[in-house]
Amino acid sequence: MNRIAAWTVISLLLVFLIGPFIIILGAALSAGPVMAFPPDGLSLQWFEKVFSIDSFRSSFAISIWLGLCSPLAALILGVPASYAMARYDVRGAELVRLLVSAPIIVPGIIVGLALLRYLVIPTGIGIGLALFLAHTALVLPYAVRVVSASMDNLRADIEEAAVMLGCSRLGAFLRVVLPNIRGGILAAFILGFVTSFNEVPVALFLSGPGITTLPIDMIGYMEITYDPSVAALAALLAALSIAIVFAAERFLGLSRYV
Amino acid sequence: MSSSVFGNRTTGLSLTLPAALFAAALFLVPVAILLSEAFVGPEGGFSLSAYSDFFADPRYRAVFWRTLKLGVLVTLTAAIIGYVAAFAIVSLPPKSRGRIFGLVILPLMISPVARTYAWLVILGRTGIVNETLGLFGIEPIRFLFTETAVFIGLLQLFMPLMIVSLISAMENMPSDAVPAARLLGASWVQVFLRVILPLTREGLVIGGTLVFTGSLTAYITPAILGGSKVLMLETLLYQRVTVARDFASASVIALILILMCFGANLVLRRLATVKRRTAA
Amino acid sequence: MSDYVSLQGLTLTYGDTVAVPALDLEIAKGELICLLGPSGCGKTTTMRAIAGLLNPSSGTITIDGRDVTRVPPSRREVGLVFQSYALFPHLSVYENVAFGLRMKKSPDVDARVREGLATVGLSDFASRMPAELSGGQQQRVALARSLVMQPKVLLLDEPLSNLDARLRLEMRMELQRVQRETGVTMIFVTHDQAEALSLADRIIVMRGGRIEQQGSPEEIYNRPATGFVADFVGFETILPQEDGTALAWRPSAVELGSGPYEGRVQGVSFAGERRDYVLDTQFGQIKADVAAERPAHGIGETVAFDLPRERAVTLERAK
Ligand SMILES: Nc1ncnc2c1ncn2[C@@H]1O[C@H](COP(=O)(O)OP(=O)(O)OP(=O)(O)O)[C@@H](O)[C@H]1O
Ligand SMILES: [Mg+2]
Repeated sequence: MNRIAAWTVISLLLVFLIGPFIIILGAALSAGPVMAFPPDGLSLQWFEKVFSIDSFRSSFAISIWLGLCSPLAALILGVPASYAMARYDVRGAELVRLLVSAPIIVPGIIVGLALLRYLVIPTGIGIGLALFLAHTALVLPYAVRVVSASMDNLRADIEEAAVMLGCSRLGAFLRVVLPNIRGGILAAFILGFVTSFNEVPVALFLSGPGITTLPIDMIGYMEITYDPSVAALAALLAALSIAIVFAAERFLGLSRYV
Repeated sequence: MSSSVFGNRTTGLSLTLPAALFAAALFLVPVAILLSEAFVGPEGGFSLSAYSDFFADPRYRAVFWRTLKLGVLVTLTAAIIGYVAAFAIVSLPPKSRGRIFGLVILPLMISPVARTYAWLVILGRTGIVNETLGLFGIEPIRFLFTETAVFIGLLQLFMPLMIVSLISAMENMPSDAVPAARLLGASWVQVFLRVILPLTREGLVIGGTLVFTGSLTAYITPAILGGSKVLMLETLLYQRVTVARDFASASVIALILILMCFGANLVLRRLATVKRRTAA
Repeated sequence: MSDYVSLQGLTLTYGDTVAVPALDLEIAKGELICLLGPSGCGKTTTMRAIAGLLNPSSGTITIDGRDVTRVPPSRREVGLVFQSYALFPHLSVYENVAFGLRMKKSPDVDARVREGLATVGLSDFASRMPAELSGGQQQRVALARSLVMQPKVLLLDEPLSNLDARLRLEMRMELQRVQRETGVTMIFVTHDQAEALSLADRIIVMRGGRIEQQGSPEEIYNRPATGFVADFVGFETILPQEDGTALAWRPSAVELGSGPYEGRVQGVSFAGERRDYVLDTQFGQIKADVAAERPAHGIGETVAFDLPRERAVTLERAK
C-alpha cells in the first residue's frame, strides 16, 4: 500500500474512532442551553454545572472507590492464584482459569441480575457491598491474566536461588518475585480501575437509593435532560481515561500486558 | 515419595482456592440459579414452557433476529474495514505505527457511555449530520432510535478490537509474503485470498469473536441509540425485568445470550482450525 | 577423610517415577567431582537433593559429619550455581552478590562482596544490572554470589552449557583457579565428556539414576568398565564376547588397509590431520580414522581392516 493511500485510510479511521470525542468536547463548550455542534458561542458553564450537581458528586465518589477497591481485592485474590498456577503443579489449574475468567464470558447484565436476585435479596447485604464484590469478580480475570503474563517471563529458579541464600518461601516471593512482577501488578490495577470505573451492565441492576455509579447516573440524567452538561462530564471522563492510560503507557508500557 | 520444596500440591491449591471459590460463589452459583429458573414450569417441575412462550411471541422473535443480524453485520463490517485499516497501519514505519496503534486502542479505555453519547450529538435531530444536510436544504433525517444508529454505535465501539487482533496477526506474518506473491504476479484480490487471509485467520477469529460477542451483549449502545424502538436482547432483558418483573423471560434471554456467545466462540474456533488444516 | 559429603541409599522420586534409586556416593573435602551422563540420567535431581530443594523419599545426606537430610537448604552451607544462573533481574550485580550475606545479617557485607567480585574478576561491574552482562559475566556473578557465602560444598549444574566454545574453555580454567584458591568441595554436572575429563579430580558416570562407573579422568578415559561408559568416551566399536564381556576400540585403534576382515566404505570425511571412515562390515558399522597422508579410499570401495586385540579395551559388559 502506498503512503498516501495508507494515510488516507488511517485518517478516515481515526475520524470515525476519535472524532466523536472532539465533538463531545465542542458540544460541552457550548454557551447555548441545548446540545449543538458547532456550539453557539464558547463557555465553561456546563463544566461548572457538572460540579454543582450533587448526585454526580456522590456517584463519582462511589465510582472512584469501586475503581480503587475492586482491583485491589482482585489482586489480593488473583496474585496468589496466578503465582500458584505458574509455579506449582496445581491439579485442575485449567478449571480454575476457566472459572476465574467466566466473568468476562458471561454478559454483565446477567451477572448483575443474578447477584441482585440470589445474593442481595436473600442475604440482605448492601447494594454497595454487592457492587464491590461483583466488580472484584469482574476485574479478577484481568488481574489473573496480566499477572500470569508477567510470571511467565520470570524464571522459576530465581526463587530457588533465593531459598538457597537464606530466604523462606514467603521471603523469596516477597524479595525476588514481587519486585519483578510489580509492573504487571500495576498494569492490572490500572486496567481494573478503568474497567470498573466505566462498567455499566453489572451496575445496572446493582444500584439503589444513594448507591449509583457514575455511568449509571449519567444514563439516568441523560434520559431527563438534554443540556450539554452530560457532554461536559463525558469529556471529563474521556480526559481522565486518556490521562491514566497515557501515564501508564509512558511509565509502565501498559500495552505489553494487554 | 520425594517432595520438592516448590512442588507442594497443597500449597498450590490453597493459593488458588480463594480466587476459584470467589469466582464460583459470585458467578457460577447465582448465574446457574438464574438460568435454571426458566426450566421450571408454572406449577413447578421441569418445563420448557418459558422457552416456547418466548419464541411464540413475534416481538421477541424479532428482537432475537435483530440481535443476531446486527451482531453479524457489525462483525463483517468491522472485519472488512479492519483488514484495510490494519494493513495500512502495519505498512507504516514502526514509530508512527506505535502512535496510531495507541490512538486506535484509546477509545477502548474511554467510558462507553461517553462514546455512545457522542453519537447522540452527531446523529440527533439537531445533530451535525442533520445540520449539514439542512445547509443543502434537505429535510432532517431520523437517525436516532433506528437500527442504523445502533449499528454505527456498535461498530465504533468494537472495531478497535478487530483492528488490534488483525494487526498482531499481520505482524506475525512473514514480512516478505506479500511482496513475494506480488512479484509472482498475483493480483491484490489473489494476494488477499491466498496469502493474507490464511496467514491472519487466527487474528480474524479472535477479533471476530470479540466483536460479535461484544455486539450481542452491549447494553448502553442499544439503550441510548436504539431506545425502546430498536430493542436488542440485552435491552429487552432489562425492560422485561424492570417494567414487567418478568423473570422467566429474563432467564430465557440470559441463556440465549450465553449460548450465542459460546456458540460463536466454538464455531469461529472450529473454522480457524479446519481452514488451517486445509491450507497446510 | 573421604566422606566429607556422603550420600547413602539416596532415593529420589517424582510421583511414581523413580529418578534416582538408592545412590551411594562419598566425596572427599576439596575434591572436584564431575557428574557425567546423558540427558535425563538424574544429575540435576541428585544436585537438587544435595542442595535441599528436593526431599529424598529415603536415604541420608551427610555433610562434614552432620546429617542434613532434613535440614532446609539455606542451613546446609551448600551453594548452587544454576544452569541458567538464576540472577535476580531487579538487583544490581553488587546486590545480587550481597543478597545472601544480607539475609544472614553478616557484619562485613561490603568487604565480602568486593572480595567475591574481585575473585571472579568483575570488580568494575558492581553497579550493572544482570541484563547488561554477557553470558560469561552472568555466570561469574552467579559463582560469586554462591562463593561469598563460603559454602562447604559448591554445586554447579551445567554452568558452562550456555556459553560459546571459547568462553567455556576460559570459564573452565577460571573454575579450576577458584577451586584451587578457595579449596571448596565442588560437584559439577555436565554431559560433555571433554569438560569432565579436563576439570575433574574424579568422574562419576551416571546412567538411569545409578552410578555406572567412577574413577579418575584417566581411568574413565582409558579403562571404561562397560559399553555405556566406553561409548561415552569415544569407543565407537564394541564387540560382545561369548563370555558376556566385550571388546572396544576407538576409531584410531582400527587398522585400515590390511588385516583379516573386509568392509565396504559407506562414508568418508576429511578432518584435517585424519580421515574418518564409516565401514559396513560383518560386525555391523565400524568407525575408523586414519592419518590423512595414507592413501584415501572412496565410497563403495572394499577395504581390508583389522581390529588389533592389543589395542582393545576389555569391558565387563557390552551395554
Ligand atoms: N519435575 C519433574 N517431574 C517428573 N519427572 C521429572 C521431573 N524432573 C525430572 N524428572 C525426570 O527425572 C529424571 C532425571 O531428570 P534430571 O533432570 O535429573 O536429569 P539430568 O540428568 O539433569 O538431565 P539433563 O542433562 O537433561 O539436565 C528424568 O527421567 C526426568 O524425566
Ligand atoms: Mg539437568
